[in-house]
Amino acid sequence: MTQDQPLLAVQEALRKCFPVVEEQQGLWQSTLSDCQPLLVSLSNLAEQLQAAQNVRFEDVPALRAFPDLKERLRRKQLAAGDTVLDKLEERLATLLKVRDTVSSHVEQVFHVYEQHADTVGIDAVLQPSVRSPSVANMLEWLQNIERHYRNSYPLYLKRKYLFSSIQWGDLANIQALPKAWDQIPEDEHQDFVQDTLLNVSFFLEE
Amino acid sequence: MARDSGPFSEGPLLQLLPLDAKDRGTQRCRLGPAALRALGAHLGSAVKIFLPDGGSCLCTAWPRQDGADGFVQLDLQCATPGAALEVPGPRGSLSLSRLSLVPCPPLRRLTVWAVLREQADAPWDLSPTGVLEAAQELLRNRPVSRGHVVAAPPDAPGPLATLHIVGGTPSPDSAGLVTPRTRIVLSGTPPLEAEPQSEVPLGGLSEAAASLRELLCLPLRYPRALAALGLAVPRGVLLAGPPGVGKTQLVRAVAQEAGAELLAVSAPALQGARPGETEENVRRIFQRAQELASRRPSLLFLDEVDALCPRRGGPHRAPESRVVAQVLTLLDVINGDREVVVVGATNRPDALDPALRRPGRFDREVVIGSPTLKQREAILQVITSKMPVSSLVDLGRLAEMSVGYVGADLTALCREAALHAMLRSDKNQDNSMIDETDFLEAFKKIQPSSFRSVIGLMDIKPIGWEQIGGLDDVKLKLKQSVEWPLKFPREFVRMGLTQPKGVLLYGPPGCAKTTLVRALATSCHCSFVSVSGADLFSPFVGDSEKILSQVFRQARANTPAIVFLDEIDSILGSRSVSKTGCNVQERVLSVLLNELDGVGLKTIERRGSKLIQQGKYKELKKNEEVEFQEVFNQNVMIIAATNRPDALDDALLRPGRLDKIIYIPPPDQKGRLSILEVCTKNMPVGPDVSLENLAAETCFFSGADLRNLCTEAALLALQENGLEATTVKQEHFLRSLKTVKPSLSHKDLTLYENLFQKQGFSY
Repeated sequence: MTQDQPLLAVQEALRKCFPVVEEQQGLWQSTLSDCQPLLVSLSNLAEQLQAAQNVRFEDVPALRAFPDLKERLRRKQLAAGDTVLDKLEERLATLLKVRDTVSSHVEQVFHVYEQHADTVGIDAVLQPSVRSPSVANMLEWLQNIERHYRNSYPLYLKRKYLFSSIQWGDLANIQALPKAWDQIPEDEHQDFVQDTLLNVSFFLEE
Repeated sequence: MARDSGPFSEGPLLQLLPLDAKDRGTQRCRLGPAALRALGAHLGSAVKIFLPDGGSCLCTAWPRQDGADGFVQLDLQCATPGAALEVPGPRGSLSLSRLSLVPCPPLRRLTVWAVLREQADAPWDLSPTGVLEAAQELLRNRPVSRGHVVAAPPDAPGPLATLHIVGGTPSPDSAGLVTPRTRIVLSGTPPLEAEPQSEVPLGGLSEAAASLRELLCLPLRYPRALAALGLAVPRGVLLAGPPGVGKTQLVRAVAQEAGAELLAVSAPALQGARPGETEENVRRIFQRAQELASRRPSLLFLDEVDALCPRRGGPHRAPESRVVAQVLTLLDVINGDREVVVVGATNRPDALDPALRRPGRFDREVVIGSPTLKQREAILQVITSKMPVSSLVDLGRLAEMSVGYVGADLTALCREAALHAMLRSDKNQDNSMIDETDFLEAFKKIQPSSFRSVIGLMDIKPIGWEQIGGLDDVKLKLKQSVEWPLKFPREFVRMGLTQPKGVLLYGPPGCAKTTLVRALATSCHCSFVSVSGADLFSPFVGDSEKILSQVFRQARANTPAIVFLDEIDSILGSRSVSKTGCNVQERVLSVLLNELDGVGLKTIERRGSKLIQQGKYKELKKNEEVEFQEVFNQNVMIIAATNRPDALDDALLRPGRLDKIIYIPPPDQKGRLSILEVCTKNMPVGPDVSLENLAAETCFFSGADLRNLCTEAALLALQENGLEATTVKQEHFLRSLKTVKPSLSHKDLTLYENLFQKQGFSY
């Protein structure tokens, strides 16, 4: 059993890593889905601002009593908008964090493997068992997952660019934000991480 | 599918398969377990692979999904520049010995040179920080090696196209791993090209190359000085010259030498079918040139620019005018930022729109004429430098023989010679040297391209001086005035002689005027153009004059050249004899006078270097004989022949035009004897035949008459003795003498001689 010791260590590392990936994937999905309502509320705010601009307060008798109502209203709406924007920024930062967390965990697993690589030998790594895929496959999947998160970095850049283009002067643009957000393509390997996790489910239960 | 190749011994062959789609951009190299075992690789260890085409790439080793052995799949994301897998067909294979495991220590620091995507309107961040961020993302967790290029996936967004690995610590000579802790630095200077660039040789174009090089390199070398002087560097050059002289080659060579980016476009390729499409293409090309220029000096080369910018105006040329206007504005814009050098090439500079040819657009015009003797020798040297040419071959002599050949023709000539040498020596293939005879054979096959369209080019049946009987003093005079200036230019300069412009041969018909010219063309190796009335006259007004001037232009391009005008009295009218109005012949005459003694040459006909053009004789005197020859070879010699010299215009006969006037007399007795000797050389003449007597009896016989006499005699002999006749006897000659009458008469001869007396011709 002593020869199997290093292999077991690698498997242990893998067993630790996959749950983290699962958790981070959940975080990633929820963060992305959180963004949509925030954007909708942002566009609603923009609509309100637009409406408030169009109202002539002095023509409405009931509102004449409040002289600086227009400015106050505008300030409030803008403050609300900024709050939403801050939240969106946070979400984006979360996405980056997910990527980095997954990266560091995957790196650790590879580190463990490299420490034991010489003793394990190539044959043991290639050998799948009844309940688990081979270590080589699992390492490859992990690398693919990590690459997947990193490949979505350009998408992240696009989103960031979208937010940085928001200006309160251009209300029509803000109202169109949810649509623009939808147009950023979700990467094609949507279910990729999920599939991988299903592949290793028996291995994790061991 | 799996081909069990058994235990790996030494370098078993692995079959190359195309990469799986999901592995694209992962830098993985998929191997079978046996190969992994043989290499001693772990999962993900760095493997260096030497590709069949000479490059190498760096990959991480991973097992194949199906565990099959004997196959290899490569992702060339990190490879030497230009490395590419041959289309991995069924035969593509790679020996395992080409794969080697390399140690891959983590890098602390890495220097890269980034090549950006060439799109100006890209939405991404082009600032250094943005580029650095993208580079970090691209390189993360990759093994890299110095000299390799990491390519970004073509469809992925981002500012980066490729990253050249320049260096790092620890030095990634074999490989190094980029970790998140690696500090990546963008290099300020592009990496030196690893492999030496294949030099494009240039022969005989040094002057044109220098002026182009100057334009390209000045702003690079002295940017501050130029800025301080407030100078706008000229950025446009127009190369003009006949096809095949090496305009395109020159541009390529200079661009490569200066390390400039070359964007070569053929102007016809820009033409579009829809209205406005051409303009769009032009705009796109110029924009691309400017994008290239943002990284390094760049050169936009518009080949055949006359197709893009023809002369504007005319009823149906509105679309073309729009294109020309577009090019003009774009040239002005390009000129503003001084980044792009625009070079246009054409062989019809006159067809260009004049607005294009002003400073600010095409600032300079470099005329590359067909090569002169010295240039031809230089070109031949360049071409033959890589060929096994025998030491006996005299390139100078070859250059002398290849009158009118441009660079392309000379290349074809050498290729033909090499081919001939190969075919000749296919028995002993080891030492196939190209010698003189091969070149001579090649000369027979390759005609100069500028000659293919020449009017009045003649295939002359070679004839030697000795084949013309008699006329020894005429031959001497001809040699003096035509052959000597070509062969002994040094002596002519020493004696202060200038080359005669033209020679007029006159004399009664049938006295070997044309044959003399043929012998002359044979003896001096120069282009020989013969023009007759049939070539010149056409039903269209002005056409004849145009054709004549074209004849001279082409002859000047192929100097030394002889233009032969036979029966010149029929081609040219005489203003002094017929006093009628302006007819075609007089107009042709005036063209000829102009061509003979005009003010100068057209600029597009310039050849050779400018020094010689400006006639710096004092400097030239110190130089080689070849240079003398070049000076003298600027001119075209005219030989005219007529039997009616009285019908010629006086203006034509003055010194400076046809300055040598040679009378070719009918043969005297001695001359007739030698003519008869020549005529009966191939004839079985009986022993009783006395040529001396015949010569004495044939007074007033011209050369043609004498030849006729001999033919008659021989026919008579055949007639008499049947077809078995073996000899021509004296009686045959005497009998034929009764039937053949002389074509000359005393009256005719006195007319010629009186003319000769009265006008006081020198000869």
